[in-house]
Amino acid sequence: MLQDKAEKNPEIIGFACSYCTFKASEMAGSLRMKYPEGVKLIQVPCSSRVDPAFVIKAIFEGADGVFVAGCHPGDCHFIKGNYFTRRKIAALKEMFDAFSMKDKLRLFWVSAAEARRFIDKVTTMYNEIKERKNVREKN
Amino acid sequence: MLGKKIKNGNIEDTLNRFLKDDQHLVLGFEKGENGVSLRAFKNYLDHYSLLNPIFSTNGALHLRRLFSKGTKIILMLRPCEIRAYIELIKLNQIEREDIIAVSIDCFGALSSKDKTDDIPAEADQLREYFKKTDTMRWACKVCRERRGVVGDAGIRIDRDGLFWAFSYTEKGDSFLSLIEGEPEESRTEMLMSGSEKQDQFQNDMKTFSKDFAKCTMCMNCRDMCPVCYCIDCVFNGDEYLPKGDALLNKILRSGPVQLPQGKELFHFIRMYHVSQTCVGCGACEEACPQGIPLTKYFKGISERLQGMFSYMSGRSFDESIPYLTFLEDELKNAED
Amino acid sequence: MKTGIFICHCGHNIKHTVNVKKLSEYFKKYPNVTVSQDYVFVCSEPGQDMIRESIEKKGLDRVIIASCTPSLHGEMFKDVLKKSNLNPFLLRRVSIREHCSWVGDDVEKNTEKAKRLILAGLYSAAHYVPLEEKRVDVTRSALIIGGGVSGLSAAAFLSKMGMQVYLVEKEPELGGHVRTLKNIWPAGKDGKSIIDEMIEELTGRENVEIFTSTTISGFEGFFGNYEVTLDTPEGEKKLTAGGVIIAIGFSPFDPRIKPELQYGKDDRIITTLEFEHNADTLQLPEKPRVAILHCVGSRDEQIGKPYCSRVCCINALRVGEAMKDKYKDSYVESFYMDVRAHPRGGEEYFEDTQEKGVLFTRANVAEINLSPTGIVIRGEDTLFGETFEREFDLVVLSIGMSPPVDNKLIASLLKITLDKDKFFMEAHIKLRPFDTAVKGIFIAGSCSGPKDVEESINHGRASAVKLFGFLNLGYAYVDPFISYVDPKRCSGCRMCEQACVAKAIKYDEEKRVVHVEEAACMGCGLCNATCPSSAISLKGYIDCMIDDEIGALLEAI
Repeated sequence: MLQDKAEKNPEIIGFACSYCTFKASEMAGSLRMKYPEGVKLIQVPCSSRVDPAFVIKAIFEGADGVFVAGCHPGDCHFIKGNYFTRRKIAALKEMFDAFSMKDKLRLFWVSAAEARRFIDKVTTMYNEIKERKNVREKN
Repeated sequence: MLGKKIKNGNIEDTLNRFLKDDQHLVLGFEKGENGVSLRAFKNYLDHYSLLNPIFSTNGALHLRRLFSKGTKIILMLRPCEIRAYIELIKLNQIEREDIIAVSIDCFGALSSKDKTDDIPAEADQLREYFKKTDTMRWACKVCRERRGVVGDAGIRIDRDGLFWAFSYTEKGDSFLSLIEGEPEESRTEMLMSGSEKQDQFQNDMKTFSKDFAKCTMCMNCRDMCPVCYCIDCVFNGDEYLPKGDALLNKILRSGPVQLPQGKELFHFIRMYHVSQTCVGCGACEEACPQGIPLTKYFKGISERLQGMFSYMSGRSFDESIPYLTFLEDELKNAED
Repeated sequence: MKTGIFICHCGHNIKHTVNVKKLSEYFKKYPNVTVSQDYVFVCSEPGQDMIRESIEKKGLDRVIIASCTPSLHGEMFKDVLKKSNLNPFLLRRVSIREHCSWVGDDVEKNTEKAKRLILAGLYSAAHYVPLEEKRVDVTRSALIIGGGVSGLSAAAFLSKMGMQVYLVEKEPELGGHVRTLKNIWPAGKDGKSIIDEMIEELTGRENVEIFTSTTISGFEGFFGNYEVTLDTPEGEKKLTAGGVIIAIGFSPFDPRIKPELQYGKDDRIITTLEFEHNADTLQLPEKPRVAILHCVGSRDEQIGKPYCSRVCCINALRVGEAMKDKYKDSYVESFYMDVRAHPRGGEEYFEDTQEKGVLFTRANVAEINLSPTGIVIRGEDTLFGETFEREFDLVVLSIGMSPPVDNKLIASLLKITLDKDKFFMEAHIKLRPFDTAVKGIFIAGSCSGPKDVEESINHGRASAVKLFGFLNLGYAYVDPFISYVDPKRCSGCRMCEQACVAKAIKYDEEKRVVHVEEAACMGCGLCNATCPSSAISLKGYIDCMIDDEIGALLEAI
């Protein structure tokens, strides 16, 4: 069910590829960079492991946002995996868009070296969703 | 385009000639006491009807897991049924070897729920009928491809009311060779022209929840969907449907929940699964005992998602299903 | 199920922003949790002993360690389980340092986050099953396709290390393009002697079999045991190879593709390769006027060759030098876009040729016309922006490297990919430059992009070392995180087979289901996400694990 929880802090689930984004998040941690507690990661071997059903499930189980993050196109450890991810997630985003909830799903490319980029992406996402959520609750 | 003219009744002669062989079958429509229905003909045609004014199930549904055993089959079906057949070929659920798929110009159909006795099965009368009444199924009204231009061959009707057979593949050529007469250039325009572009589907979760409030999770929509081909659906197990104790946990933690649980999840995941293969035939809506407007959602979403990859389900045998392939240089704006 | 949860303080690193005591108390109440403990350094000797003792005394069958990120101390904690006779794949690591205590400051919020992360681990680990690193036997033999410098250097290394080598060459003679070169810059050696030296090293070695005038007609099987069919002059031959090195080289660019260059219509328009072969027999006047055109078949978007061929600038410089050396009063003009004298010593060589009197004009050559007195080149000087028209006695086209003629054939036979320029594509341009997408198949030399002789030899050796590492032991371990198929659920739609990048999924025509070739699977999980009924699953990341993780992180289960 889509039900807004009492507290106003969004819950964000991120699927992070082991070889890029998860490594970037490790690095971000080691560098003591901060990001909101609401962002929680699930480690997957490759972004292509992310079945769109997981994203749908997370949304209906109450996540305010979901992101799928993998290596930059062309850099996939599994050679081509993220090209398939791109098609699937782009299609899923289109589907969410048709239900006026496009802002809930995002696709990021973050390489292992891009800790700063990882922080920027998740923080921006968190803040945007939080803002929308609070506006919705006021109305 | 070069095709063969079919004189009145000639198509039945053609099919009867084909059926003389014991190993041959024709899958088409039969006009019986209770209206027109799908029938497999052997040896000869009886009460054959080229068109079927009533849609109950998608004929391709019955072809799943049909693997060649040496029996030659001609399919004489609606374009939406042939398109579903083509998608199933791509999904390796049917072996194409011995089958000739012929799509027939379709004037739309009545829902089996609104079935009446006075509905005609002849082309011109059916056309007049739908002009006079507003009883055509919604799925047919907004159909993307009602022309017999898909499959191996097609039967089309021109503005003078003449029937034509056209071939699109080598198998189609063998179908045409069964018809008497020489191929000739069709000079008259066809009665049915290409469909106009549909509006982009747009909805929101509120309307969705309202429309699906009636869902009882009987999963008839899935069972009657021609392209929902899985032997064992993920929704058969309890993977996506909460178990009792988990449900209780959830209620204790986050408050009351609506029952039955997981129906949004079911429809959303199914919508994604069939997004590239859905032919928009509306068989799901036909099967829904609760009268939920499923076609609106499934057809709307699948058209949007197929459009992203310039794909159209069942348009050709050779196009690959978009999720199974990719271009390196595409979707540059996919990243947020 | 008996789960042990061990929460690490990491000294102060976790403890200072996560209430570890509260966490360990909280999980004690959980069903299926037998042990829930926090400890100052779980990775220390006493910490490891604590885990071992719990496993042995309490009979734990799942171990959850909430500490630093999983990539640290991974093998060490696995060993702890192994020593206690527990399958190491029943261990779950939860990162509450890099992903929790270090990235947030609020103790209450961090503790809540850590609780959910551990909960996700707990739910996910409930689905864990013991896994084995499967040992597969591999054939200690290598198939090397192409007997040029790369192929020969790879063969030399592998055979020296005692590996069985099958060297296949399409032509009747080994040596490829290098054999025909009279002078290899900067060594000054002729190609034939380099090749002869390499062949000499191979001859007499019992473990080398050389097939000339031979092509490959069949290729089946998987990493460690590829079944190869050769088409030899003596007839068909079948052999088994553990791995493959593709070293089929390049094709010289054919200037006929650019008709404005008039190549083939006049003897006085030749390529650098022809100059190399026939420099001594050229009929030239005493004071010859010689034009050299750079970048013929390179850096040319219009003919689909946008890349730099890397070797042709040096070749062009060598033509200029040779002309100046032979005819002191010759007029030698080089028309270039940029002079890219890549290799070591190249830049100095460029200066030397300039000093010898070769003229360099930065120009776009528009066309070449034949006249009774000579060959007229028309073009635009791109530095001065002026058009020019000059007559020459000899025009040398410095041709680039095109992909090998058999690239598509080999790619489809071995099921590997070509890049946008139609050279063979490496698995990763920086990290895995010798591997292809398919395990056990490597590329060497200029078939993966233009290379000079030195680079080709190095590339060949490097690929050989990589292959040797894969096959030397006679067996290899396959990562247990690979896909498997539940044949009862499989509908045989072959979607996974079509999507699989490693081509590790095979369809069984009789049973109408697919199966996974374990040795070939890379473990990305694309097939799992592609299968609508999840009949194919990736071990260690099966659907219900991730589903429960989602549920736990959202506190929805």
